[in-house]
Amino acid sequence: MPRYDAMGDDAFDASPAHHTFGPPVIAGIRERAELGRYPIRGWGARRAVPDFDDLLLLTASASRYPLEGYRERCDTRTVLGGRRAGRPVVLDIPITIAGMSFGSLSANAKEALGRAASLVGTSTTTGDGGMTPEERSASRTLVYQCLPSRYGFNPVDLRAADAVEIVLGQGAKPGGGGMLLGQKVGARVAGMRTLPEGVDQRSASRHPDWTGPDDLKIKIEEIREATDWQVPVYVKIGATRVDHDVRLAVAAGADVVVVDGMQGGTGATQDAFIEHTGIPTLAAVRLAADALADLDLTGDVGLIISGGIRTGADVAKALALGADAVSLGVAPLIALGCNAPTYRLPAAGEAHADVGAGSEVDVRAEYTALGTAPGHCTHCHTGRCPVGVTTQDDALAARLDPALGARRVANYLRALAMETTMLARACGKSDVHRLEPEDLVALTVEAAAMARVPLAGTDWIPGR
Amino acid sequence: MGELIMAVRGPDGTGPDGTGSPEGADDIEFDLAVMSTRHVNAALRALPDGARARVVNPAGRHNLAVGLSRAIRVRIAGPAGYYVGGLSAAADVDVDGPAGWGVGENLMSGTVRVRGAASQSAAASAHGGLVVVEGDASLRAGISLKGGRLAVAGDVGRYCAFLAQAGTILVGGDAGEALGDSLYEAVIYVAGRVRSLGTDARVEDLTEADVAAVRALAADAGFDHVDPQNVTRVASARSLYHFDTAQHAAY
Amino acid sequence: MCGIAGLHLLDPALRERLGSMVTGMLRGVAERGPDSAGVAIHDTGGLRVRKEVGDPLAFADRIDLAGQAGSRALAHTRMATESAVTAAHCHPFVAGTAPAADASLARPGALPLGGTQLCLVHNGSFANHATIRRRLAAAGVMTETDNDSEVAACYLATRLGAGDDLATALRRLTATFDGFFTLAVTTADSFAVVRDPIGAKPAIIAETDQWVAVVSEYRALLGLPGLADARVYEPEPEEVYLWAS
Repeated sequence: MPRYDAMGDDAFDASPAHHTFGPPVIAGIRERAELGRYPIRGWGARRAVPDFDDLLLLTASASRYPLEGYRERCDTRTVLGGRRAGRPVVLDIPITIAGMSFGSLSANAKEALGRAASLVGTSTTTGDGGMTPEERSASRTLVYQCLPSRYGFNPVDLRAADAVEIVLGQGAKPGGGGMLLGQKVGARVAGMRTLPEGVDQRSASRHPDWTGPDDLKIKIEEIREATDWQVPVYVKIGATRVDHDVRLAVAAGADVVVVDGMQGGTGATQDAFIEHTGIPTLAAVRLAADALADLDLTGDVGLIISGGIRTGADVAKALALGADAVSLGVAPLIALGCNAPTYRLPAAGEAHADVGAGSEVDVRAEYTALGTAPGHCTHCHTGRCPVGVTTQDDALAARLDPALGARRVANYLRALAMETTMLARACGKSDVHRLEPEDLVALTVEAAAMARVPLAGTDWIPGR
Repeated sequence: MGELIMAVRGPDGTGPDGTGSPEGADDIEFDLAVMSTRHVNAALRALPDGARARVVNPAGRHNLAVGLSRAIRVRIAGPAGYYVGGLSAAADVDVDGPAGWGVGENLMSGTVRVRGAASQSAAASAHGGLVVVEGDASLRAGISLKGGRLAVAGDVGRYCAFLAQAGTILVGGDAGEALGDSLYEAVIYVAGRVRSLGTDARVEDLTEADVAAVRALAADAGFDHVDPQNVTRVASARSLYHFDTAQHAAY
Repeated sequence: MCGIAGLHLLDPALRERLGSMVTGMLRGVAERGPDSAGVAIHDTGGLRVRKEVGDPLAFADRIDLAGQAGSRALAHTRMATESAVTAAHCHPFVAGTAPAADASLARPGALPLGGTQLCLVHNGSFANHATIRRRLAAAGVMTETDNDSEVAACYLATRLGAGDDLATALRRLTATFDGFFTLAVTTADSFAVVRDPIGAKPAIIAETDQWVAVVSEYRALLGLPGLADARVYEPEPEEVYLWAS
């Protein structure tokens, strides 16, 4: 225990940071004192919560036999919404791109994500603000979100979609509405959302024409009528009371339930929401999978898990816990260049930049100007993204080449799929969807309790 | 579609292709007592521009005449449930009775007319077209309106035009509490009394352009009880457009 | 989340038809609550309550709802939100003490002579019922289930026991409970409707000289006699609508 009263000024540098009022807390208090409002930022929860890193896979050895890594088949095909929809969503890999708005992201970023998803045979998703033509044409499978704000929502785009996702909430802010600060509400974004240019847009947190699952059921029927019962209807929830909410989404008629854990990202939300609401993805996936199993609907109603998925190991573990697919938001943005110290200028005369070609332009000074640094930036809300991902500024947006971005994201998603199949094969599975909770153990008591798998080296599942 | 074809008939049993008959006589009739909502909607969507249809025995069913995209006329002969005429464009939908929540929600163009009362969230998020309610409309009429027009002959309940972004609302009777709360650029005209204004809504002077807009909307709606010179204009004070610490209670 | 239907007869000549009228109303809200159903019927002989898990229409057949007579009724179809699907979790919830069989034996001053017994159906979900449940329990009023709506029934019965009339108790409820609700409440002599301040869940009232009805959706009114001439309106949020016989 340091004795501060006996120390000189020099001793403070060496003294441990105060826990209750540490430097980030002090900075937060100062920020509130200056702004007179809540701090707003992008991304998901910063704090450490139990996650997929706290689980390990029990791959094969003597009792079970592995499949050969590069030779023997391991299926990744994923079908979603086969129960009611005339045209279910069929994906080559169980790794999808989550809903992020044009507005939050630049048009180039949206296009790049759509192209990337198409390159690897998966889906991408619109966001609060509607569908852009670039995104539609770039995306083989496009999920169209229906949000409380209904910004840009219309029957023409609805019928052009491959699935509809009714958003009740998201992991970064379950119970809260969307937010897009004025600096990102440029002419095109404002036009698509029918808003005055430059307003600090704060969206509704409840839908305008229904409240509660009994009325949601009628709403879902309306969407089915308007799409001639052809496309699957997803219902997305922010993970809080997951067991109840999954059951109610199913009762309301969802073909697919999307559950977004608290690590799920956002383009701009109150810090208090991001850090202090919802439950970890690890806990949510098991609750959701168990609810579907209890309803005897495993496989019939799809389960997509999102919130902090980064690696193929995360994917494999989420699938083992019962997800049919995962959805990624922040990670593909990082693949696009988010938080990179440089962006790449295509080589002269190069129509579409190659991943390795062109020259790098250092933008560390721009991160510094935002009060952050590459690797630490969550300043999506400012619209001043130095690498052109989360901006509406034409000059900044031009720093992201859609073709190059698409190839980088596609590479990333392919690598994830390879990691997933590698791990599944090592567990002896010829299909990634055959991973099961019994393939997992937990490193910590907390993770064991949340995922309901045994603590490694024991047969103990806390609470069982 | 066998079931569908059998249920579709002209009033004289000659089938849906009769032409040149007087008003109403050449309507193609769909009977919800024997057809499902899904079949009726699919049949309505298959009709060509200019076709006229009559849907009988609606019995308050939901999602009737949803997702239309051609210039057809649909008469619903009785009460309709939620979202009648919703997500539609170009069509004219007429409900002979009251309608449930979200009548004409997300309408793009065309008309939805309710010859009775409309329940909550009438014309919610409508981008275009005209929603007419000949009776009263209850809570949240015109919520998040995005450019469409809403005309209510009678009274509107609380929270009318909540978050309405663009478009015009005409209330022939009185408006309930919190009118125009968190309004963006939509404009509301009230012929009767305004019980209270919502946050950031204010009464503004009536201009000649307003009078013309009200006259046109009343004419399109068929209202003869509204004096365009004698309405209250409510629009956004625009004080919530940007974060302002003095307004913290409104966030 | 659910469908509700309530019927209060003003014309005693309709007594024998109460069950058939309520059956039609239940049919109109059946899709809103596929999990389970329940009815409460007030008759001269007292209160009859039946609740069962499963399809509401089959339930109505099983209990011969159409054949039942009475003066006022509540019916409910349930889509469970947070508590289990069991008969005990079904609405209507009954709380309070029944009227004394012989009013002359009731202890003066202890309880209203008519008793505090009430029935309640709810569409919506409360957000602070756990705290109110604990307060009630601390005062010795125990709920039988973990259902949020039951807390409202017990709260109202407690307020009636404390001397509030039903309208006062309902106004107090709207000031005490957070969340979304359309409530219909019956007692031995009254029928009442109240909604949350936001009016998040649907409610339609129809009134004639012969009856008063409240339903979640208009289509549940369609079989009622004289509907064409009824005054049909949606109750204002927070306002208590009350009819006494």
